[in-house]
Amino acid sequence: MADPRPALDTPPAPPSGWEEYALSVLVIVVVTAASLILPDSYYLSVGLIYLLAIILLCLRVGRGPVLLAGVLGAFAWEYIFIPPHFSFAINSLQDGLLFGTYFVVSLVVGQLTAQIRAQAQNDRLREQRATALLHLTRALAEAKTLDDAVRAAVRQTDELFSAQTSLALADENRAALIPHFANSYSLEGKERATAEWVFRHQSNAGRFTDTPQASAGCYLPLVRDNKTIGVLGVKVPPDLTLTLAQQNLLEAFARQLALSVEREHLRAASEREKLLAESEKLHRALFDSVSHELRTPLAIINASADSLAGADQNLRGQLVNELRTAVRRLNRLVGNLLNQSRLESGTLKPRLDWCDAGDIANAAVESTRDALAGHPLAIAVPEDMPPVRADFTLTEYVLANLLLNAANHTPAATPVFLTAGLEPGGQRMFFTVADRGPGFSPAMRGRLFKKFIQDDGTRTAGLGLGLSIVRGFIVAQGGEVVAGENPGGGAMITVYLPHPPLKAAAQA
Amino acid sequence: MTASHPSRLLIVDDEMQIRRLLRVALEAENYEVHEATTGQLGLSEAAGVHPDGVVLDLGLPDLDGREVLRRLREWSQVPVLVLTVRDGEEDKIAALDAGADDYLTKPFSRRELLARLRAVLRRTQPSSEETIVRFSDVEIDFAARIVRRAGAEVKLTAKEYDLLRYLAQHRGRVVTHQQILRELWGANAEDSTHYLRVYMTHLRQKLEPNPRAPKFLQTESGVGYRLVES
Repeated sequence: MADPRPALDTPPAPPSGWEEYALSVLVIVVVTAASLILPDSYYLSVGLIYLLAIILLCLRVGRGPVLLAGVLGAFAWEYIFIPPHFSFAINSLQDGLLFGTYFVVSLVVGQLTAQIRAQAQNDRLREQRATALLHLTRALAEAKTLDDAVRAAVRQTDELFSAQTSLALADENRAALIPHFANSYSLEGKERATAEWVFRHQSNAGRFTDTPQASAGCYLPLVRDNKTIGVLGVKVPPDLTLTLAQQNLLEAFARQLALSVEREHLRAASEREKLLAESEKLHRALFDSVSHELRTPLAIINASADSLAGADQNLRGQLVNELRTAVRRLNRLVGNLLNQSRLESGTLKPRLDWCDAGDIANAAVESTRDALAGHPLAIAVPEDMPPVRADFTLTEYVLANLLLNAANHTPAATPVFLTAGLEPGGQRMFFTVADRGPGFSPAMRGRLFKKFIQDDGTRTAGLGLGLSIVRGFIVAQGGEVVAGENPGGGAMITVYLPHPPLKAAAQA
Repeated sequence: MTASHPSRLLIVDDEMQIRRLLRVALEAENYEVHEATTGQLGLSEAAGVHPDGVVLDLGLPDLDGREVLRRLREWSQVPVLVLTVRDGEEDKIAALDAGADDYLTKPFSRRELLARLRAVLRRTQPSSEETIVRFSDVEIDFAARIVRRAGAEVKLTAKEYDLLRYLAQHRGRVVTHQQILRELWGANAEDSTHYLRVYMTHLRQKLEPNPRAPKFLQTESGVGYRLVES
């Protein structure tokens, strides 16, 4: 990238202002005035004092003012102090040598000063550039998504070049450019045309480039593996220009950004693949367990129906019971699948109404009576429990699922506890279902509420949808589900529901 | 009731197996059974045979079950028992609002089916001005406005009595919260379900053997209440 008005790679030190010249003159005047009080015979020392003043000046002012001070000092010294006074004549060779040396030293000092300052300036620019790149790299590395990265990059370029930045990325087929939403100016009209040109030709265009276009911005292609994957545009205000160093920096930015975009593309691709594999696995698990869960009761129904034909009265009763159990199991399974899809489709809208907590508990117990057979059930609902705000059917379903879980995962004849109450403070009400079974393994705890998860090693009834639905239904009602230990052993699951004051709820 | 003259029933369901099973179960109870496979056919059959009761599946191939109900109710007050496959209470309430007398969720048992049918058919049967209704050891004397339990009078507040009377008049059938609230508190009280819960709790405490697990004053999940006689 070449500027039509080429700039030095090492920019000159900034020109000295009139203040620096004034300071130089002032210093020489002060030194001259001060030296007047010294005896005449000290004129050699006065020369050294001038030199000292000039060297000190070097620390503050640029080359021009130093040279001015040197010349002024030389003339002042020669005219006032070197005998004969108040004349430019020099009497002795020694004085002449001294004067000459002084003059050369002050010139050299001025020149050196300028070089050192330019060097410092250069170092500062280089450091700025390195810092800018470092910031950008870090911002890009920290960005979690491509959008974050682009935002960071746009912010950095905006700051650094006091310009506006725009980024457009190629679509998946690299057929079209799609401007990014985080841009600080929109790519339209001439700007868009130039960006498209850059995209097609994989070369810089616009302001500060060899290919000036009608656009106000300058555009750089983002290139990886010889493919253009996007275009970076920078619009510098018309009264400002970019130095060659800044242009280099911009190119470095573009390279860095291209790297980041490519990395993001790769990450997205691998993410997609992982997701695909995951869903494949889930599909497999669902398929396996659904077919097992559906086929088992169907097999029971089939076998029972076959045997019914020739069965005596006693056997017939047993078979009918088997049929009923199989049907209930199928019915629950279908209910779970339907409810899960209701949850996933987002169409679930709880109908909150005032309910009797005891009523809900009873309904849940009633619908799971067959599965709970053999487990002593202890229901505890306080006598003075006020009506609670809940969706009756959803909450009943939640409790039924929890009771079924307790029954299915605990040894026969162990008790199951169903408790309801208000939290201290009365902000929330809760239902607790607890058992005396093996409880949850620590590894299980975190995954409990995920779909298709079953406690490892135990093949029991159900798809592993139960707790996922429990949580879905409770969260939909603004509540919370907590899994824990039953004091004294066993699992305990508590569902919390908001318990609004009567008036507030009635208005809602 | 079936002894004197058999009730004529119309089954509207597109599933052949369901119709067949219903026919077997109902004919065993001396009902006269007619069938229709679609909503349209059901409506014309209802006009033709003048059934005493209709068993209507909500999921029909041609018309939505609720639409069938709406059209039927334009000219007929025949008792309708709705069959639904959905657990959700919205469907049930919608069907009840559209004029159904009660519902049954598939799968259902024969016992449930017959109990519901008996209850919905009773609505149109000439009841000899029944003044006393009994369930369990409870006796409600409408004429005297007195409720006795095991022979002893039970003190009920006016609202509790009204609630009990309303349920008893519809015994065996579901009554929605909205129906009760409209009847007992008037049109503007439909949000006051909170009070309804409290009165129901009181009623159960006074009349149920075990108020925590009521046998007679039953809750219909998310829909309403039902007074069950046995």
